[in-house]
Amino acid sequence: MKQIFFLCFCFIQSVAYCQKFTEIARAAGIVNQFEVYEGSFGGGATAFDFNNDGFEDLFIAGGMAPDALYLNKGNGTFENVYEHSGLKTAMKYITQGAVSADVNRDGFRDLFITTITTKENKGKIPRAANLLFINNGNGTFRDATKEFGLDQLLSFSTAAMFGDVNGDGYPDIYVGNYFNEYSGKLSLIDDAIIVGSKQMAKGNLLINHQGKYFKDEYEDYGMTHKGFGFGGVFTDFDNDHDLDLIINNDFGYKNNSNRLLENKFPEKRFEDISEKMQMDLGMNAMGTAVGDYNNDGLLDYFITNIRGNKFMVNQGKGNPFIDKSDRLGTKINRIIDSDGAYQPVSWGANFADFDNDGDLDLFVANGCLNPFVEPNPDYYFENVNYRFINKSFEKNLVDKGVSRGSIVFDFDNDGDLDLLVVNQKPINNNYSNSSPTLLYRNDSVTGNWLKVQLAGVETDMNGIGSRVEVSVGKLKMIREIDGGSSHSSQNSVIAHFGLGQATEADTVRITWLGGKEQVLVHQRANQLIKITENNNGKGHSKNYWLLLLLPVLLMGLYGMRKIKKRLNKI
Amino acid sequence: MSGLSENEVPSAWADLSIYIAKNTPANSPTFASRGFGYIGLTMYEAVVCGFPAYHSLAGQLNQLNKLPLPDRNKSYSWVLSLNAAEAFILRSIYIQTSNENKLKIDSLENVIYHFVADTIEDKQIALRSVAYGRSVASAIFAWSKSDGGHRGYLSNFDGKMFYPNGKGSWKPPFFAQQITRLPLHPHWGDNRTFLIADTNWKMPDFIPYDTLNNSTCFNQSMLVYQTNKKITQEQKEIAMWWNDDPSETYTPPGHSYNLASIVVRNKKASMIKAAQTYARVGMAVADAFIVCWRIKYKFYSERPSTFVNEHIDSEWDPFWPDPPFPAFPSGHATQAAAAATVFAGLYGDSIVFTDNSHVGRPRDKVKEVDYKPRKFTSFWQVAEETAYSRFLGGIHTMQDNQVGLNEGAKIGHHINELQWTN
Repeated sequence: MKQIFFLCFCFIQSVAYCQKFTEIARAAGIVNQFEVYEGSFGGGATAFDFNNDGFEDLFIAGGMAPDALYLNKGNGTFENVYEHSGLKTAMKYITQGAVSADVNRDGFRDLFITTITTKENKGKIPRAANLLFINNGNGTFRDATKEFGLDQLLSFSTAAMFGDVNGDGYPDIYVGNYFNEYSGKLSLIDDAIIVGSKQMAKGNLLINHQGKYFKDEYEDYGMTHKGFGFGGVFTDFDNDHDLDLIINNDFGYKNNSNRLLENKFPEKRFEDISEKMQMDLGMNAMGTAVGDYNNDGLLDYFITNIRGNKFMVNQGKGNPFIDKSDRLGTKINRIIDSDGAYQPVSWGANFADFDNDGDLDLFVANGCLNPFVEPNPDYYFENVNYRFINKSFEKNLVDKGVSRGSIVFDFDNDGDLDLLVVNQKPINNNYSNSSPTLLYRNDSVTGNWLKVQLAGVETDMNGIGSRVEVSVGKLKMIREIDGGSSHSSQNSVIAHFGLGQATEADTVRITWLGGKEQVLVHQRANQLIKITENNNGKGHSKNYWLLLLLPVLLMGLYGMRKIKKRLNKI
Repeated sequence: MSGLSENEVPSAWADLSIYIAKNTPANSPTFASRGFGYIGLTMYEAVVCGFPAYHSLAGQLNQLNKLPLPDRNKSYSWVLSLNAAEAFILRSIYIQTSNENKLKIDSLENVIYHFVADTIEDKQIALRSVAYGRSVASAIFAWSKSDGGHRGYLSNFDGKMFYPNGKGSWKPPFFAQQITRLPLHPHWGDNRTFLIADTNWKMPDFIPYDTLNNSTCFNQSMLVYQTNKKITQEQKEIAMWWNDDPSETYTPPGHSYNLASIVVRNKKASMIKAAQTYARVGMAVADAFIVCWRIKYKFYSERPSTFVNEHIDSEWDPFWPDPPFPAFPSGHATQAAAAATVFAGLYGDSIVFTDNSHVGRPRDKVKEVDYKPRKFTSFWQVAEETAYSRFLGGIHTMQDNQVGLNEGAKIGHHINELQWTN
């Protein structure tokens, strides 16, 4: 009897265990913490396989602390290889976040790091360039900031995103600046420059010229907007195969609000349609998650805030977005903790199908405003019939540290998405939570899955901005390859889909940036598919029509019964 | 002087002063109030020696023992002295303003100079007047440097200071006017006041913190909350009219300084009377902010939003975002009462006039409020409405406002009690 009880106990334990995330940062070799310089700014990361070994590595910005380059050793652990990585010039700077793309199309991911000032000269003027590091292809990087013409662009930059806005295959960059940029000689600094530097700033639109240099073409693209910028996302909100821009601004309720800028490609112009689309949100916008939460083929946007995050649901075809945070169950205005009630402050956010059931769940990284330290547990919203339930406690995701950027990636290549949450050091030393950066291994009981990795030929080398659609029966799920989102961070560029009980995807459709399509059919579950862009001129590839016919032929072969059977399983 | 009367010159400089206050980044009500104090005083002192019935304040103010005197045996153009003095003090106080704004100061100075000097045959008189005005302004500026607020915009916040954090203490707002989590100018109360009489201040009574339902303290915040929940359109208009957000307008003391211009124009005041009006109002608002800040940081009391969120309604946001400093007493109320008291001292309390300070500002789309001119029949009515607007804005209790009005009136009286005439 005792034994049966014990077995039952073990079974219950293991089920409970399996439905959780397990925090393993220290065990996996990640000992990291962001240290703020001033205010509450900073803390982001990017997941990128910098040595092309099939395991995604990490770059984490450190602020006052050194940055970290964590090499994924493929055995569940990481090693900080920053020391000899060639990234150390960044140690002179107070870094904020990072994004990665293959800037010069040589097959290796490069790094762009945002900074607010230098460590040596922490005056009142933001006077630091953002940093570009080119991957040497041998596990090291070189500082190419000057070589790429970026060393004279002095700014107070929070977050950046990669995205090819002009269809030339080279990833461009949008930089979100918080305070006014300053260009000039240090000897000229006077009181006017000092006080002026704390005003709202315009962003930078850094156009990549053939992988040789960047040029700020903000005004050339018709952009004039200023704000207390927290970056944003490049995203194709209107499904017209170019990258539009959502810009997040802090204090938008009394300064300039968020922006939605429509890319008028092939014209060199972004049109401000914020008001028309009701995306001129006046809020403390900190970060954005991009995802089609209801699988209707339209990308939706979760925008983090101080209290009351916005869940902007895409209504399609020129219709204004609607904030459904209340109806969808993600609106939380107050965190009630055992020792008090606190205002939630949300930063990073990530849509991901954490439980591999065919819909997107949502992780939100919360963190108080240093130096006023108080508990701010993160949210884990599980998507249940396209409504959300906060299950952070059940999922072991109630960290009360000072969280900022968060990213999703599959670090152990086991087919489910893991989480990295960059945490700040609490300035108040008495705070009970030491708040280190966290790595959560996803140990959920999961369904089947499919991962898709893109290799652009004419478009971005890693498919940034391109669209992957996986269909299983009637269910169509889309992912947009991330060039930078959440808060000052960037998720994996490998698209991940949960397939539930389905053992294969009926179709995998790639819509490359620009509109060219490629379709694969009947892809078995639980594998990573690498898809290289079919380089056959403009429009649809040669095999496109053949591939489009394939499902019809296959349907004939297998008969409708099998399809029905599969539908029942979803 | 064709096309420009010397009586128009004081208000022309006041207009430019509020423009500079509004269009200089990182301005604050505290720093702006100080500026108006020196700008107003300079205007008066640059001309007072030309008007035997009036008395200089040299020797009457805190550590201001003397100011340059004109040569009794020579003639002066007092309007040119005023003109040069205002340009000098504005440039000096606002050294952090943009080059474009500095050009505006030069330009106004030049225009007025030529209007006046071109009609004077003896150029020596013009040059002597300019030199005298500058010497007065220079002496006042030199005196200003030791008051504790010089270049105060570079030290708006003190991250190294220890701030109280207990129950009832001010907490940085989440629905906030400013980016910072720190309170503005925590040492401003230590600054030297213009008036000796304002140096030592008896602290007012304060309702003790109490979270019990129906306690006096509880009811103070409850009333703010209940009024805010059912705020009417007219109340919104009042709230927005006196909002005077430092990042969008010429700040609350700037609003009072502009009321001085309205009054001066309304009463067709002479140059000396106008200059005295600006001096009184400027010093009234400057000392009001010092005294008010001294009290604020003594009690370090929380805003109604903090109390309401913790004890009444966790989701409530005030009509306006909270300013970044403790609540008790209201700075707006304090300076408005000080200004109303000096206005009444000069012109009597009753006056029918229209405040059009914010006319022309575009409709606030978020709050759905237009900026319509407001009519008043007495100066004290203006002060009371100013105070009330903070209550409607949801950022002050009635106690904050009433005590602000009481303390402000004392400051105004101190100014009225100086020896202004011979």
